[in-house]
Amino acid sequence: MLALDFPEINSLLRWKDLFPSFNKIALIAVLAVVISSTIFLLALRQNHEEAPRGIRNLAETIVEFIENGVVMQTMGKEGLAWTPFLLTMFMFIYLCNVPGIIPFFQMPATARMAVPMFLALMVWVIYNATGIKHQGIGGYLKSTLFPPGVPKALYILVTPIEFISAIIVRPFSLAVRLFANMMAGHILLVTFALLSEALFQAKDKILIPVGILPFFMLIFLTSFEVLVAFLQAYIFAMLTAVYIGGAAHPEH
Amino acid sequence: MTTAIVTQLNGRVVQVRLTSESSDTTVPAAEDGVATEAKAMESGAAETTVAETKSAPNPIAPESKELYWAAGSFIVLFVLMRYFLFPKLKKGMDARYEGIRNDIDGAVTVKASAQSDVAEYEKALAAARAEAAAKVDAARQAVDAERNKQLAEVNGRIAAARSAADQQNAAARAAAQGEVAAAVAQVASKGAELAIGRTPDAQTVQAAVQAAMESAVSR
Amino acid sequence: MEAIARLVAAAADTTAADAKNTAAAASAGYAYGLAAIGPGIGIGYLVGKSVEAMARQPEAAGMVRTTMFLGIAFTEALALIGFVVFILLKFA
Repeated sequence: MLALDFPEINSLLRWKDLFPSFNKIALIAVLAVVISSTIFLLALRQNHEEAPRGIRNLAETIVEFIENGVVMQTMGKEGLAWTPFLLTMFMFIYLCNVPGIIPFFQMPATARMAVPMFLALMVWVIYNATGIKHQGIGGYLKSTLFPPGVPKALYILVTPIEFISAIIVRPFSLAVRLFANMMAGHILLVTFALLSEALFQAKDKILIPVGILPFFMLIFLTSFEVLVAFLQAYIFAMLTAVYIGGAAHPEH
Repeated sequence: MTTAIVTQLNGRVVQVRLTSESSDTTVPAAEDGVATEAKAMESGAAETTVAETKSAPNPIAPESKELYWAAGSFIVLFVLMRYFLFPKLKKGMDARYEGIRNDIDGAVTVKASAQSDVAEYEKALAAARAEAAAKVDAARQAVDAERNKQLAEVNGRIAAARSAADQQNAAARAAAQGEVAAAVAQVASKGAELAIGRTPDAQTVQAAVQAAMESAVSR
Repeated sequence: MEAIARLVAAAADTTAADAKNTAAAASAGYAYGLAAIGPGIGIGYLVGKSVEAMARQPEAAGMVRTTMFLGIAFTEALALIGFVVFILLKFA
C-alpha cells in the first residue's frame, strides 16, 4: 500500500567525509567553537560601561545563567572557579545539539557516540582528579567507597555499589543520556519526515490528506527538540558540577 | 525468506540486492549459490551473503576521527574561554557592577544627607511650634490670672456688702424684738398690777415674756 | 502441496544467523518496552511531587525545579539505556 522503506540506520548517522577524515560531525564541532568564540569576541568589542544590549547581553546572560543556575546551585561560592569550564561545556554541547533541527545540518553532533563519550570521559578524569587533589587519594577513596553514617556491617553491600556507581555508572550514564536523547530525537524526526513524505506522495489519493498528521507531529517534535537540546546541555553541565562539587567537598 | 546479496568491489559496497524466495521458490539454494558464484567470477568482485551484511559498522560505536575533532575543538574552545574570552568579559561585567554599586552607594549617601536635612528642618519647625505654644500658654495664663483676681475681688466686695446688710438686718431685728419685749413687759406688768393690785417684780415679768416669745418662735 | 514445499524450503534455508536475527528483533522490542515502564512511572511520580512541592511553597520553586531536573536526568537514564540496547540489538 505504501512504498515506505526505512533507510539503513547507518545512512542516517554516518556521514561521508567532506575532505579526508573531516565529516559533518567534525564540521559541527568546529562550528560550535567558531560560533561561541565569535559571540564572546563580538561581546567584548562593546563598551562594558554601558548597559549590555544585543550580543553582549546574550553572552552575559549565558555567563550569569551558568553562574547562578549551575554553579551556585550545586557547588556554592567556592565553585565559581569552574565557571569557564562549565560555560565551555554548556555552549559546546548546546551548539552541537542544535544542528539537529537546523535545515541542511539536520544532525546533532552529539548523536554520534564519539562526542558524548569524550566529554564524559573528560568529566570522569576531572572529578576524580579533583577529589584526589582535595582529599588525597586515600581520603577520596574513603569518602567515596565508605560513605559515613552507614553501619559497619552494611559496608559489604554498600562499598561495591558505591564503587560501581561512582566509578563506572556515572560516566557511562552521562554519555548515554546525552547520546541516546539526541539520537532518539534524530531518529524520531527522520521517521515522521519519511512518513509524511510517503503519505504526501502516495498513489492512493485518499492517503494524501492523512499526511498532515505526521507532518504536524514533525513540527511539534522539531519544537520539542529545541527544548531537549537546551535541557540536555543544561543537565550535562549540572551533573558535571554536581560530580566535581561532590568530589571536592564530600560532606555536601 | 529474504536473502541479501551484497556485491563488494575492493572493500566498497557496490550493490545491495534483496531477493525474496517466496516469489522465486523454483530456484534451489544450491543453484543460487552457483549463480552468485558465477556472477562473482563474471564481475571480478567478491560477493557475500546475509552473514556478511552484519559487518556494517555499528551505529553506536564511536568513530575515532569524530572523537579527535570533537576533543580538539572542545579543548581549543576551553583554552580560549579560560584564558581570554571569559576573564575579559567577566572583568567588564565586574567593573560595570562595581560602578553600579558605587552609584547606588552614592545615591544612598545623598538620600541619607537629604533625609538628615529634612529631619533638621522638622526639628526646627517643632521647636518654633513649641515656642509659639508656650507663648500662647503664658499669655492665656496671664489673662486667666487677671480674670481670677478681678473675679475674687468682686466676689469679696459682694460678700462684704452682703455681710454688712446681714448685720444691719440682724441689729434691726434685735432692736425690734427688744422693743416688742419691752412693750409686752410693760403691758403685762400693767395687767398684773391691775389684777393683783401691786407691781410685779420686773425680773419675773421679763422672764415670762421671754419664755412666751421663744415658745411662739419655736412653734 | 506447494505451500508445504515452500515452508520446507524456508525451514531448510533458516540458518543460525536468521534465527539470531529474529530473536534479536523480538528482544529489541521487549528491551525498549520493558525499559520504558519503570522510568515512565518514576518520572510521572517525580514531576507530580515536584509540582505539589512548588504549589505548596512557591518561594522554594527554583530549588525544587533544579532538583527535579536532576532527578529526571537520573531516572530517564534507565529508559535511554533501554533505547541504546534496542539499537544495539536491532542494528548491531
